[in-house]
Amino acid sequence: MKISLNWLKEFLGNIKDNDQLSARLTSIGLEVDSVTKLKKDSIIDIDMTPNRADCLSVMGIARDLSAVYKKKVSIPKISKLSNKTKSHVKGVNKKISTAYSILVIEDFDNSLTTPKNITDKLELCGISQINFIVDILNYVMLEIGQPMHVFDKDKLHGDLDVRFAKKGEKINALDGNEYVLSVDIPVISDDDGPQAIAGVIGSCNSSVERDTSSIIIESAFFTQNLIRKSAKKFRLQTESSYRFERGVDPRLNNHALGRVIYIVNQYSKIKKYSYNSVVSKPTAQHLDKLIKMDMNHFERILGDKIPNKFIINTLSFLGFNPVIIKNKLQVSVPSHRFDISIAEDVIEEVARVYGYNNFSEIPLPPINLSTNNILRNSTNIFLDLLSSRGYSEVITFSFLPKDSQKLFLSNKSKIDVLNPISEDKSEMRANMISGLLKTAKHNISRQNSDIKIFEIGKTYKKHKDKSILEENVLAGIVSGVNYPHNLKQLQRKLDFFDLKGDLMSIFPNLSFNESENISYLSNSCQAVIVQGKKAVGLCGEPSLNLCRQFNIKNKIFYFEIYIDLLKLNQKVTYKPISIYPKICRDLTILVSNKVSCDDIINSIERKSFNYMINSRISDIFYNEKDFGNERKSMTLELSFQDNSRTLQDEDVNEQISKIIGFLEKEFNAVIRK
Amino acid sequence: MSKEYSSLLSELREKLVSCSSQHDLANIKSHYLGRKGVISNEFIKLRTASTEERKILGGKLNALKDEAQKLIASKASELSVSVDCNEKTDISLPGSNIYLGSRHPVNLTINKIIDILRNYGFETVDGFEIEDEFHNFDALNIPASHPARDMHDTFYISDDKLLRTHTSSVQIRSMLSSSPPLRIMTPGKVYRSDSDPTHSPMFHQIEGLCIDKNINFCHLKSLLSTFITELFGRDMDIRFRPSYFPFTEPSAELDIKFNGKWLEVLGCGMVHPNVLSNVKIDSKKYSGFAFGLGIERLAMLQYGITDLRMFYENDLSFLSQFKGLK
Repeated sequence: MKISLNWLKEFLGNIKDNDQLSARLTSIGLEVDSVTKLKKDSIIDIDMTPNRADCLSVMGIARDLSAVYKKKVSIPKISKLSNKTKSHVKGVNKKISTAYSILVIEDFDNSLTTPKNITDKLELCGISQINFIVDILNYVMLEIGQPMHVFDKDKLHGDLDVRFAKKGEKINALDGNEYVLSVDIPVISDDDGPQAIAGVIGSCNSSVERDTSSIIIESAFFTQNLIRKSAKKFRLQTESSYRFERGVDPRLNNHALGRVIYIVNQYSKIKKYSYNSVVSKPTAQHLDKLIKMDMNHFERILGDKIPNKFIINTLSFLGFNPVIIKNKLQVSVPSHRFDISIAEDVIEEVARVYGYNNFSEIPLPPINLSTNNILRNSTNIFLDLLSSRGYSEVITFSFLPKDSQKLFLSNKSKIDVLNPISEDKSEMRANMISGLLKTAKHNISRQNSDIKIFEIGKTYKKHKDKSILEENVLAGIVSGVNYPHNLKQLQRKLDFFDLKGDLMSIFPNLSFNESENISYLSNSCQAVIVQGKKAVGLCGEPSLNLCRQFNIKNKIFYFEIYIDLLKLNQKVTYKPISIYPKICRDLTILVSNKVSCDDIINSIERKSFNYMINSRISDIFYNEKDFGNERKSMTLELSFQDNSRTLQDEDVNEQISKIIGFLEKEFNAVIRK
Repeated sequence: MSKEYSSLLSELREKLVSCSSQHDLANIKSHYLGRKGVISNEFIKLRTASTEERKILGGKLNALKDEAQKLIASKASELSVSVDCNEKTDISLPGSNIYLGSRHPVNLTINKIIDILRNYGFETVDGFEIEDEFHNFDALNIPASHPARDMHDTFYISDDKLLRTHTSSVQIRSMLSSSPPLRIMTPGKVYRSDSDPTHSPMFHQIEGLCIDKNINFCHLKSLLSTFITELFGRDMDIRFRPSYFPFTEPSAELDIKFNGKWLEVLGCGMVHPNVLSNVKIDSKKYSGFAFGLGIERLAMLQYGITDLRMFYENDLSFLSQFKGLK
């Protein structure tokens, strides 16, 4: 909200520290966004928080500052209202308004030029000039915070009625639009129908012009929620609705009319007016509310002891009428403060005037609480390890384009955003690969085709019972060459085994099972990642179809691991190391092509043969001529060592023959000699 | 004979004193220790000596050889050169396999914050991103009619399921499931229907919550100002100013001065008694504070990033700039 500095001073008198004013405003919670210095004035732009409706006027801001400067605000002069009448209003629905007054002025000259001191201020505050009476009403609104509406009395037919709209009623609003009303919209109507959407906007049909000669001014307190609903429904935020939905002082409406008469009279003597205070028993939760609290409560919440005198003084300036009796404080909530309902609200009033920056800093007492989130810590280690193996972490949107996940899940388990921000962000991801492929594509088209990336995040699915499943998934992609260009080594394309190697280095005890039914991975290269006996992920080459969808021609390999299922790194317990020599033996066997290499190694390891400390596959060999196309030759390199002595050949031979026996039995292996 | 050996040694010493280059040293080395050098020669001579003599002299000759090797080696290290005459390594060639991935700046920032707050007893808690209105709004003192709901343009996925607009929903769940004392922090993704150069429909937040007996505003101030100092690694110009959040009372905003301008970094306040009663915590017995901050904004300040969109574009040229950070 923009206000003029000079105008503010009219309420506060001269302020010594002009330069400090904006800092002071900010320090009491009226954050100054900017100050524009003009020749004779300054415009102060304040970012008003939604709770401070009482400060949507110059007087309101001055009232808040009065507590800082310890200075009384000078109240604008008003004319006393007389000439009460009962006419012109047929009825007021109390659900809509509990304080509703009108002022009727006949023989009114609206062709007057609005005085410069008024238009200047309106302009500074960003409100454009319309015509004499409308300018005066806007002026009073900015001055004391009461929005008002004026009708051309000659254009109205019959008395006004404050009621809910009837179905299908329409209004030609002052913003040039026609709005079709519904039964939950409060309106001010005459015999012809709605002449205003209450508290929001008037109708063209009854608007005042320069040649208008008799007017009805409406000054009311409207129920906040209703105004909020209609403003929201029609996406209309007017100066009026903005104030009403936040809360206009319910006891201000007659006062505002008195102010209007006073100002108009300065420029054009009103010959005859009448005034009808139709309803005047405003109800709102905060009205006449008393709050009683212990004086100790201030220190309990704020930490520092604030002198009683400061508390009383501050609350008095803010209009709370504080009284202390026996260490108990009683305040009454001012009619303009919708935001005050409990002791803590009162505490904040005192604290903000005291100045948040003036409070001490008291270190938090130490506490004995565990701060170890095991899942997060272990996951972080995995992610750091991935990054040290050349992977860069990415973050992609949890939203995916409409209908882009047919490959991954059924419509029933898909989660749509009902009000998406755009079509390409309209469903929640149930897979990680889409975001990663999109990222890969982005980088490929920016000439970065050597890609190693990972992302950790959630996937979202709906269960049959409509409950929602959020899973933590770590996924990644590799593509391009193994190393950046290098003088000593030849570059080569990354392949499945680079990916598998990375995963096996980082995650404990993984094995890879053959798979064929993962629809978005290529049939010829896909695997289920297993830990223990649990499937914890999958990997392989994205299917041609999927790559085509992202317009990617490069060779890509993908993995995903379900973090929630993963066995985390176990505690390390030191095992004594041996100082005796190792003995290595090679063993070459023929097995069926179907036998998985991982299986052979894993089962030998599981069997824990004596002295055997390591086993690996050192060679694989296919030769149709020698052993047919259904078998492969495999060389195992086995190492043996003992902790207490140097192993003899006999020791190792004994184990080797046991291993041979095992392989023959389990895998139908034939030993090649 | 043994006399001859000791004169050999003193002769070597003299030569080494006057030796000043790697080349000279190599010559000296080959003269004494080479295959056809002086010492080898002495060994050859020994072959003709008697067994008795060989035993004594052999020992002495070996001692001479050891001593000569030591002297030459120490001269070599004095000259800081290697005396082995292998091909010289061109150390200016590039190292092999220079590559390193990187963590995302958003997560780097989150991790940094977590590391700092852990020292003050805060535990990380994760929660749902798809929430209901109770945990995201109602329990936080934001009823349906409240204007503050306008501050959160919410994505809905059904009548009452929504994408959380802040991680405060996780705090509600924590307060409901465990009792004070409580010190938790809740990092994660949040969603608001807002998209322009300074707003993204998905962004990251971390919020902190501390509930205990006798927790007050001065504790909040102390923790946050220490936190900012630790985060930026130096004293920053900060200010606390009153603000408004439905779930805290009093509420405050913490601003940091950057290049002469105050920037809003963090919202905070004392937990509203209505929130405490919504999660069945007795506000007469316990009090607490909460704070929350946007990660992207902080990461932008920390790393001088000017365009929010960079975070989600994931250009490798952008990401690789965060190599080696943890």
